[in-house]
Amino acid sequence: MDSSLLTLFQLCDSNFPSGGFSHSFGLETYIQQDKVVDPETFSQWLTLYVQEQMVTADGYAIKLAYEALENDNLEEIWHLDRVLTVQNMSRETREGTRFMGRSLVKIAETIYDSEMINLYSKRIQEKKSNAHPAILFAMAGHHLKISRDTTILYYMYSTVINLVQNAVRAIPIGQTAGQQIISNFQPILKKAVETINTLKESDFGTIAPGIEMAQLQHENVTVRIFMS
Amino acid sequence: MSKPEWTGILNLDIENRAGKSVPKNVYFHDALKVQRPIYHGRTGRPCYYILNVGGGYLDGDTYRTEVRVRENAELTLTTLGATLIYKTPTKPVYQETEIFLAENSYLEYLSDPIIGYEKARYSQLDTIHMKKGATLLYSDILTPGWSAEGRSFSYDMLQLRTNIYMEDELVVYDNIKLEPAVQKIDVLGFMEDYTHLGTFIVISEKADGELVKRLQEVINEQAGDFKAGISSLMVSGFTVRVMANMTQDIEKVFSACQKLISETWYNKQLSSLRKY
Repeated sequence: MDSSLLTLFQLCDSNFPSGGFSHSFGLETYIQQDKVVDPETFSQWLTLYVQEQMVTADGYAIKLAYEALENDNLEEIWHLDRVLTVQNMSRETREGTRFMGRSLVKIAETIYDSEMINLYSKRIQEKKSNAHPAILFAMAGHHLKISRDTTILYYMYSTVINLVQNAVRAIPIGQTAGQQIISNFQPILKKAVETINTLKESDFGTIAPGIEMAQLQHENVTVRIFMS
Repeated sequence: MSKPEWTGILNLDIENRAGKSVPKNVYFHDALKVQRPIYHGRTGRPCYYILNVGGGYLDGDTYRTEVRVRENAELTLTTLGATLIYKTPTKPVYQETEIFLAENSYLEYLSDPIIGYEKARYSQLDTIHMKKGATLLYSDILTPGWSAEGRSFSYDMLQLRTNIYMEDELVVYDNIKLEPAVQKIDVLGFMEDYTHLGTFIVISEKADGELVKRLQEVINEQAGDFKAGISSLMVSGFTVRVMANMTQDIEKVFSACQKLISETWYNKQLSSLRKY
């Protein structure tokens, strides 16, 4: 295995301090409403989250951002950072994602020697960009010369690991059940990358109404361990 | 490329003349039409009702609406009835609306539901350009139409895309695409136990966090079989989303929100847009 792959793995590690551990992206609402109660219902939620929200927003954005990086089209990258942020109607989820984006960019700036990531960081400090984990991932993957599809796959994989860890703590489900879900998700993630490659511009950021509703309603969840 | 031949065109241009908002220009062609405006109460704000002359949208129909509300002018825009989308065997129906809101203008654009009948495909693109101090109240509702077999989701695809810019910066991007022809619709995380989806977006310098908090309370007080959520936008404003099984349940939530807004901002009662 080459070292650039290992370097990208570092970003995917569930111990990487991105802050993902404080955000459930609406999962906690479903837990409180007794809709997600066990490994099976959690898998249903996660499947929808990946197939309907991750694919058309974050995943598709990485594809477009990666292409823009290959074409030196910086305007497109800044536009994607903006549209990815505003398409998120839930303030908590949007702010949580920005927070994670800022943490990732800050650390990535230190561990990678990438002009693009430095520029992104500067724009974030100047409030010209919002900071989004998907955009940072596209930059890191492109910088490390990891292929576009592999970058998308690792991003989604790291999201799945993170959400499974949150489910283990919050539902709760067993660690073994959690690992079983991660393993079961391999074909779903591969299929998701294939789907992303067939999307059109008009598909960008289509919502999953139930998932989004849970993210909006999380603002009213009274007892909570997650910030979104 | 030649210009598409629209099935219907509507242009509305509203300006403020001595404190009253009046049409500067109104133009419509073929299948789209507006009647003479009605001034509800003593608002000085015209209300236009958009009418689809044919009664429903058919295979391959294309519609374009352009609306301008000039500085300090106000406008209420609505439809005379639901937008009915019939089956589209060869080409989806396409409808685009472009809106320009000048400084300190006001637009209420509250449409009746879009109803997708069996095998219907519909794609809508709304683009709204706002200047500083402008106010926007915008709503839409997606519903399935009656089907011979009694299935809830017999339409093939309904898509609503909404882009809103404030001083040329993108502040809202909303993309709803329900595609029962290829998606599982009634699963956890998607439409679940509901068939209707409503969106109410408000942008105004007066739409602060305090108003959002009070609207949340008002929403919680509404009875009915629905799920609703509200959240602040990146600019001063918010989105309300409602999932329900009846248009009335969504309209009830939206009306309650509009009532509170109207009372809070203008200390006045909401005028009804009753059409029948």
